[in-house]
Amino acid sequence: MLNSFVELNGRERAKALLDKGTFRELLGPLDRLESPHLEPQGIVPQSDDGIILALGQINTKNVLIISMEGAFQGGGIGEVSGAKISASLELVLEENKQGKTIYPIIIFDTGGVRLQEANYGLLSISEIGNQIVALRNYVPVVGIIPGRVGAFGGMSITAGLCTTLIATNKARLGLNGPEVIEQEAGVIEFDSSDQALIWNTIGSNQRLKTGLVDAVVEDDTEVIIHTIDSVLTTKANPAKTEQIDFYLTLLKDIDLSLEWTPEKYTAYSKLLQPVQQAVPMAREGHSASSNSRGYKWFSFLTGIVYPTSSVPSVLAADIEKNGQLCRYISIVPNPNHKFPRVRNGEVGLLEGWTVAQVVRDVIQQDENKEIKRPIVAIIDVPSQAYGYKEELIGINLALAASADAYATARHKGHPVIGLIVGNAISGGFLAHGLQSNRLIALDDEKITIQAMSKASAARVTKRTIAELEEATKKVPAMAYDVQSYSTLGALYKLVSNINPDQPTEQNIEEIEQTVVEAINSTKGTVTDLSYRLKTKEALAGGRTATIKVRELLKEQWKFGHMIL
Amino acid sequence: MEKLQFEYTTSQPIEKAAHIGVVGSGDLEIILEPTQGNKTEVNILTGSDGFGEIWKSVLTRFFNRYPITAKITIHDFGATPGVVSLRLTQALEVLDHAE
Repeated sequence: MLNSFVELNGRERAKALLDKGTFRELLGPLDRLESPHLEPQGIVPQSDDGIILALGQINTKNVLIISMEGAFQGGGIGEVSGAKISASLELVLEENKQGKTIYPIIIFDTGGVRLQEANYGLLSISEIGNQIVALRNYVPVVGIIPGRVGAFGGMSITAGLCTTLIATNKARLGLNGPEVIEQEAGVIEFDSSDQALIWNTIGSNQRLKTGLVDAVVEDDTEVIIHTIDSVLTTKANPAKTEQIDFYLTLLKDIDLSLEWTPEKYTAYSKLLQPVQQAVPMAREGHSASSNSRGYKWFSFLTGIVYPTSSVPSVLAADIEKNGQLCRYISIVPNPNHKFPRVRNGEVGLLEGWTVAQVVRDVIQQDENKEIKRPIVAIIDVPSQAYGYKEELIGINLALAASADAYATARHKGHPVIGLIVGNAISGGFLAHGLQSNRLIALDDEKITIQAMSKASAARVTKRTIAELEEATKKVPAMAYDVQSYSTLGALYKLVSNINPDQPTEQNIEEIEQTVVEAINSTKGTVTDLSYRLKTKEALAGGRTATIKVRELLKEQWKFGHMIL
Repeated sequence: MEKLQFEYTTSQPIEKAAHIGVVGSGDLEIILEPTQGNKTEVNILTGSDGFGEIWKSVLTRFFNRYPITAKITIHDFGATPGVVSLRLTQALEVLDHAE
């Protein structure tokens, strides 16, 4: 194709969008900010770690382009690449706050978290999301999905946060790739060899029909430039992540006993009339509906016996402690869930949108109050849901909605505390927990914090499980245990000597006290996620590469800014 | 993964740094940086082990033809000798345009 955008590599794409002579790369290949985590695993790094940052102009408007190189490690996000994205967005946010308009433009070509740096990928993606949510108050954040890799995994959640999403007809957008769904849920759920099914479900044309992307354009650089320019100057619609009543109505109403082809779903969603949905608050039930840790700890901390609610998989309650009202939220298994793929407590469509609803409810209730109610996310999520209907309806947007709600609450001054009592995995963790400004974890060997199950991670990275376990010894971000996780610096506190399954009264008191301390520690401090970069562990090596990226980018930014 | 190092005596110093390519399947990235003296050092990190001799012949042929003096870093992800030669020549083109 003559003027193809898709066929260009990541750097060429950034250059192609910018007015001639305005391309100025930051942290380019000569700065040699390679990933320090790949070589120890026998993987050849790239000198820009697969992210191209460029300041420049599009039709004389100042822009920052963030372009992902999909050919390098599938565009996966690791520590350095993630820090390049979040740090540059942070600087753009600062410029816009100061009154200098710079439009952020993100070119997605990524499979999501780079599994070889797993937990760094998850942390980075939550930090990127935090910046996008903050930036949307100043400028539209434009995402482009040209295609080849598309936008998947955690980065499909990031895409869902963008003000406007533009895709070519060669692009796909989905939370879980078809191969991973087949691996986790079986070929009956999703046949990853059926290309027609894949494109009809997660291809850009289908995504346009149901509003998950805003424009599908032909693969032509001039057309893409023109489309970007027009969305920079027109007033943006409300964020896609705010369509809570629409999706909750849909999820309540949809009859899952029917077969849902993409065509049928499109027609159905177009006719749907959203109805305002009541906020489901937990109440006392007759018997325990689950014995998961998330369920038990919700009960311990709120004092509600056998908690249940009209959406049984999301428990939420306002509890007063020490004269302070707190909203507790937990995602729990519902064995009778309408969506079979979330019956073990996974975070699915209903969970993402319901958490968004209960968090936004707090924001609204406290809108005119000086003191904002703390929100405590009790975290015990085995994963996101892997399923065909989940992808068709857009689970990436559901998880973006809850991540967005938590980030918005935090920005408005609500202390958001994440309490890890069980597993904290992947998209589930991104949606429920990783937007907390303080994370607390129980020190328990059964807790797993990761981006993907061992079996799937081994398959995707073409290793045996033994080889994968060997690699975790060299790179703590790949490990599955909470002790290794704490060395990354993301935790406010790792609490030892607590019985996670049958805590004593003192155990519960200690956790309550730790939560109060965490809440108090946020008072009068920043509302972003930078706390994680300043902990003892982060400074002692947990986030060395992140900190280096941030410092060097700041230095180069001053210079780049001058010539803009 | 294998690390390889080669050194050539050369005579044409480059004035600017250049970068070309992507560490994608069957491809590689090359970074050329100016250096003092008349030695060109090539440091290679390759995902494909056991091709030292082939690298040597490709590079020797290249430097016989273009004796540029530079510090060269290569990150290789299974590029064939033909692709390596092509990228090296492209890097020269980038340098010409830059100068």
